[in-house]
Amino acid sequence: MLETIKLSKTFKEKKAVDEIDMYLDEGESVGLLGPNGAGKSTTISMISSLLKPTSGDVKLNGKSTIKNPSEIRKVLGVVPQEIALYEELSAYENLKFFGKIYKVKKELLEIRIQEVLEMVGLKDRQKELVKTFSGGMKRRVNIAAALLHKPKILILDEPTVGIDPQSRNHILETVKKLNEETGMTILYTSHYMEEVEQLCNRVYIMDHGRVVASGSKSELLSILSTEDTIQIQLSKKSYPLLESIKGMEAVRRVEETNEGIRVISKKGSNILSDLVHAAEKVDIQIIHFQMEDPSLEDVFLHLTGKTLRD
Amino acid sequence: MYPVFLAQWMKDKRRPYLILLFIGLSILATIIFGDIDRIEQSTVSVYSTEPNAEEIEQKWIELLDNHDSIEYVLMDKEEAHAEVLEGESDVALQLMENDYRLITATEMPGVFIVEQHVQQVFTEEAKLVAAAGTNSTLDLRKEVAEYLESPPLKVQTESIDGGDIANYDMGMQLLFGFTLFVAMFTIGFKVNGITADKVSGIWNRLILSPVSKTNMYIGHLFYSFCVAFFQMMIVFLIFKYILGYELGNFAMIVTIAAAFTLSMISVAMLITGFVKTPEQFYMVYPSLIPIIPVISGVYMQPGTITNPVLQFIADIFPLSHGVEAMMDVALYNAGWNDILLPIALMLLIGVLAMGIGINMVERRK
Repeated sequence: MLETIKLSKTFKEKKAVDEIDMYLDEGESVGLLGPNGAGKSTTISMISSLLKPTSGDVKLNGKSTIKNPSEIRKVLGVVPQEIALYEELSAYENLKFFGKIYKVKKELLEIRIQEVLEMVGLKDRQKELVKTFSGGMKRRVNIAAALLHKPKILILDEPTVGIDPQSRNHILETVKKLNEETGMTILYTSHYMEEVEQLCNRVYIMDHGRVVASGSKSELLSILSTEDTIQIQLSKKSYPLLESIKGMEAVRRVEETNEGIRVISKKGSNILSDLVHAAEKVDIQIIHFQMEDPSLEDVFLHLTGKTLRD
Repeated sequence: MYPVFLAQWMKDKRRPYLILLFIGLSILATIIFGDIDRIEQSTVSVYSTEPNAEEIEQKWIELLDNHDSIEYVLMDKEEAHAEVLEGESDVALQLMENDYRLITATEMPGVFIVEQHVQQVFTEEAKLVAAAGTNSTLDLRKEVAEYLESPPLKVQTESIDGGDIANYDMGMQLLFGFTLFVAMFTIGFKVNGITADKVSGIWNRLILSPVSKTNMYIGHLFYSFCVAFFQMMIVFLIFKYILGYELGNFAMIVTIAAAFTLSMISVAMLITGFVKTPEQFYMVYPSLIPIIPVISGVYMQPGTITNPVLQFIADIFPLSHGVEAMMDVALYNAGWNDILLPIALMLLIGVLAMGIGINMVERRK
């Protein structure tokens, strides 16, 4: 349905997006994952025709949208990262304004406004001014405004940044419902791994303007099929122990965590006895250890060498 | 275009205070500064220290007391000096038999007017005394007055179209100046809505909608035009029908106001092109705008600013053309042909500023 072909964007000397190839099938929910500054928003801006790419193409049903963006604009709903609403107007007035802008027929507009307000759970507060809303409520109206014209593709740019858990859950539920019940194609960008895991069938992982990995969750996790992750809880912190573990042949990486340390080693290397000996040597007690299944967070760490919040 | 226009209206409908404040400011500033020129009468303290002081004072006060806006009041020397010293009076006049002395602390414009008048009266009296010789000056004065009732030569001054020459009305200039000046702020703050929409992301939403960019701009700019124009009209109507100002042909004043508004919207758009955020605009615009009426000479008598550089800068902005055209209509009964040039200049400024402004706004991503 929608694809990007070697899509690139350079700002002066800096390459913000570097030859990205992506595709979205109809009815799919796709995640675009990456830390701040990875190039997610620039990619979205190019896909939604707000920004002209330096090179490459965006195709909707096989037709380029670069020269003639009107086709993609008709089927696209974009939820921007910022709250793109008039704060001095009520939620209802905002939606009425955006409905008129999107040329929703007069007789349908009222029905659509009530539908989308119901969808985001703000029907009973529609007459209140947006400026009196909490951050989460504003973001819900922000989403509602993008749904008025019943878009076939919905692009959400980090829609849950800085909001309360209740609103966050509501937004995730709404997006899930839109995808599952109406068959809306979703492109969801976030740097919250758990959101993408919860919502998306497929994930693109971006870093430094490039797609470093893509695929379904299981496909991405298989990248780490050659590694074991061991979470160890220690009686106290010890730098010499950390160094000693790092020096072990089978160990690929060691990280300090809130609970203790996390050791990533070659699959099946069986380093548990070595770990116990190393701890004994520096007089540290291992309180608890656990073999962990790798998460997408681990995949991201493996691919980019940093965490998503970096 | 209409949804964009209506959204701006909905926002302002909830907060009309700014417009009301600006309307009030225009009226207040004109009344405070404009009417001073109309009602103010300066008082000059007069005294004499000569042995025959009473006689001298009586003689000269009688001769001096023929000026419309200067009142000569007798006082003690100490009292008169104290008033000048404390700034309560600009000037005091010490009278002598055939001479005078002005006592002043600062060179205020009023001092020159008093000096001019006193000198004129003393010179005329000296001429009469010289002409009378040993005869009575009183008789000669009477003779001269009778002679001047039917003079052999009469100089009559009239305007180019044969009517009376109108007195320059500074109050009227300030009325137009302040109204247009305050409207410039309204225009700027409304045009800044475009930058605010761009920063908030609303502009991007509009771009993705079926509304064309031209309609987006027109919606914002037409709204700015309507608000500023409405504000000016309210002020002019109050002055015309409530405060009794004679504004001349009102249709022409309305036309000039419309051309000025269009032109100033373009200038605001040009300034928008230089800034990145609405906050930057709020910093730059109110710093720049108050300079324009000063350079344009709106607060001064015509001809005060003679520096060609300042005159050139003033000509770049529509304010000087707008005030000039309105003054021509109000004071000199100018016709449509007479105001065509300032209107054309304002529109030219408008076209150029709008072209450059929108280009700069569009280039800024």
